[in-house]
Amino acid sequence: MEKRPLSRGVNSPSRHPSKVNLKALIDIIKGTLIDIVKRIIRSKGSYLFLLPGMSLFFTFILFPMIYSLRMSFYKWNIVNPAVSKFMGIGNYIRALNDPIFIRAAINTIVYTLITVPGQIFFALIVAILLDQKIKGRTFFRVAYYLPVITSWVIVTLLFEYLFNSQAGFVNFVLKDILHIVGEKIMWLADPILVMVPLNLLGIWKGVGWSAVILLAALQSIPADLYEAAAIDGANFWRKFTRITLPLLRPTLVFLVVVLVIGGLNVYISGLLMTNGGNPLDLSHFILTLMYEKTFANMDFGYGSAISYILTIFVLIVSVIQIKLLQRKVEY
Amino acid sequence: MNFLKKVLLTIITISVVTSLSLTLTGCPPTPPVVEETTPEETPTEEITTEEVIEKVTVTYWHTMSEAEAEALDEVITMFEEEHPNIKIEPTRMAYDDFKPALLTGIAGEMVPDTARLDIIWVPEFSEIGALVALDEEMDNFPEIIADTYPGPTSTNFWKGNYYGLPQDTNTQVLVWNRERFEEVGLSRPPETMDEFVEYATMLSNPDEEIYAYTKGGTYFWAPAPIFYSMGGQITDPEITTATGYINGEKSVEAFQLLVDMYKDGSLAPYFIGGGGVGAFDGLVTGQFSMIIEGPWTVDILKADHPEFEVNFALIPKGPDGTTSSVVGGQNVVVFTGSEHKEEAMEWARFLLTEEAQLTMAERGVIPTLSTLEGNERLPEYFDVFMKQLKTAQARLPHPKWTEMDNVINNAYQYMLRDEKTVQQALDDVAEEINTLIKEG
Repeated sequence: MEKRPLSRGVNSPSRHPSKVNLKALIDIIKGTLIDIVKRIIRSKGSYLFLLPGMSLFFTFILFPMIYSLRMSFYKWNIVNPAVSKFMGIGNYIRALNDPIFIRAAINTIVYTLITVPGQIFFALIVAILLDQKIKGRTFFRVAYYLPVITSWVIVTLLFEYLFNSQAGFVNFVLKDILHIVGEKIMWLADPILVMVPLNLLGIWKGVGWSAVILLAALQSIPADLYEAAAIDGANFWRKFTRITLPLLRPTLVFLVVVLVIGGLNVYISGLLMTNGGNPLDLSHFILTLMYEKTFANMDFGYGSAISYILTIFVLIVSVIQIKLLQRKVEY
Repeated sequence: MNFLKKVLLTIITISVVTSLSLTLTGCPPTPPVVEETTPEETPTEEITTEEVIEKVTVTYWHTMSEAEAEALDEVITMFEEEHPNIKIEPTRMAYDDFKPALLTGIAGEMVPDTARLDIIWVPEFSEIGALVALDEEMDNFPEIIADTYPGPTSTNFWKGNYYGLPQDTNTQVLVWNRERFEEVGLSRPPETMDEFVEYATMLSNPDEEIYAYTKGGTYFWAPAPIFYSMGGQITDPEITTATGYINGEKSVEAFQLLVDMYKDGSLAPYFIGGGGVGAFDGLVTGQFSMIIEGPWTVDILKADHPEFEVNFALIPKGPDGTTSSVVGGQNVVVFTGSEHKEEAMEWARFLLTEEAQLTMAERGVIPTLSTLEGNERLPEYFDVFMKQLKTAQARLPHPKWTEMDNVINNAYQYMLRDEKTVQQALDDVAEEINTLIKEG
């Protein structure tokens, strides 16, 4: 290799081979650096602009993802990774045979199936109402958006107080005001009933965000379409089903995909309200179970496998959704 | 040639990205935290003659309360005066975040030098190799532990070595509301479990949501004092099997007592997870007449209800006539990833000196040195806790304890919900714990 003309700047080969190598190497480095600089200049600095973003992406997203993928195939030793025991797909098989994981998966899917349509339904109503010329429109827009910007932790604690068995507002209304129930309901102590506050919270907190997106979409529908329909004698319902809904389709597809991903990743509310699966490990979501296995039981390999199963599932569901729901809108 | 250039280009790009990302993340490979106070440009000859003070920073993570942290600052000042070359850098964390923070630290090679760990975590962290075996590394280890209570010290022992020093200890005792007792014609707290059950019926009126006793949850710490006082055991002393212990006669009787109390309305129903009035608030208002709690009770009640008269008593005696409870507390440990092990061990050793222990004790932390018994600087209410500690028992020192605790918690829930009989639930627990012992 040294015999070839190495790079610019090498004029006379020295008699000492080691010096040649060193000098040549320095020249190569010099040449390469000049090349990089030239490229950057030629690309008008676009590489440079990519660098901060890409370095963050590599450090905080890609590297941890690949590292945890590796962990998921081992009984991982956090102190000395070298002595970790290779398990193949053992952790994945263990998860699929673990009744607590299956229950957590069912809870997560049910949560998604309830909160996604719930959010979209109420968001659509709110968006249509906010699209009317009503007094105090700005106030209502802010009011509906407030839950979105409030911290998950705070609103979860708030819901926990509302649904407190002994002193909660919900039981007070149901038992002492409306007299619908005779006994106080133990909302948080029952693995099924605890899903009521969790799902309500999921819907309530998400409506504002979806409403804002839908409102923007509603306002982009050309007004002349509605005017033409009115001339043809279409009523509100007909206008809604024939104009509004079809034209909202791309926005709705976007919302469904994003909300489903969000729903499957439900975590903070579950962790706080059920203390991670209480009672009886029956109220876990996939991510609360992942957290418990990883950080409470120090089972890093199993925890990683659980999060990868979720990732694969989210990926498949998203692809199917986009394929099924995305059709071109023509008008 | 071209190939070589490409390779170089890649290497340079990667190194730039890496160095940039390291700068951005703010976590460069941990440099030794050594502050040198050597005068600038001192000729080398002079260094050998003049004494160079190298100040080493020892990091110490803990989960102390505010009052405890104030006392800790005093202890640190005392230590630093005695050891001018060491600086202690304490970090206070929330209990729930502590374990994840430590694990993240271990994974990222950013561990503290020392920490105050909950006694139940020591076997777990020892098992993964995160802790230094102090009995191998500290010269005078036998002397240091000679004066400590054997119970708390034993919680540092795992697979033939001691991985920590008992920094503080605690246990739970009965806290009772005298006013409520007098209302129903009782003048003293129950001394036996029979009395406990009998008084409980007198003190309860479920229709008005008045209950004799409550507890914050169903995790093992909650029923543990009654469980141990009734003679319950989780496994054999060598931790080889749970069969015949957790599902043995005495353990079953212990849980049966609690389940019966729950069913007849002596126990507040909300403790299974419904969320109710907090135990301390309920005790003060008379909604609950008895709770079982630790020495922190005094601080908590003093802050929120200064007018309330706090009364402690030993846990009622079981059928065999002895009282017992559960040992809690914290151990000071040194991490294998520490770069200043010697200094860290010096700090650990200092935390077990009489002066350090007394300074902490004045803020409600029970010392682990038996030589301090009867010391006038100890708060008066420590007496009952010290007495209870003599027979209190430690939870299983096992790396799988967190999972075992969860298994017992679930079984207790099944019993209270009437989904399993006490015997059935505990038979299942025995089987599950046996599996966990094998895995551990």
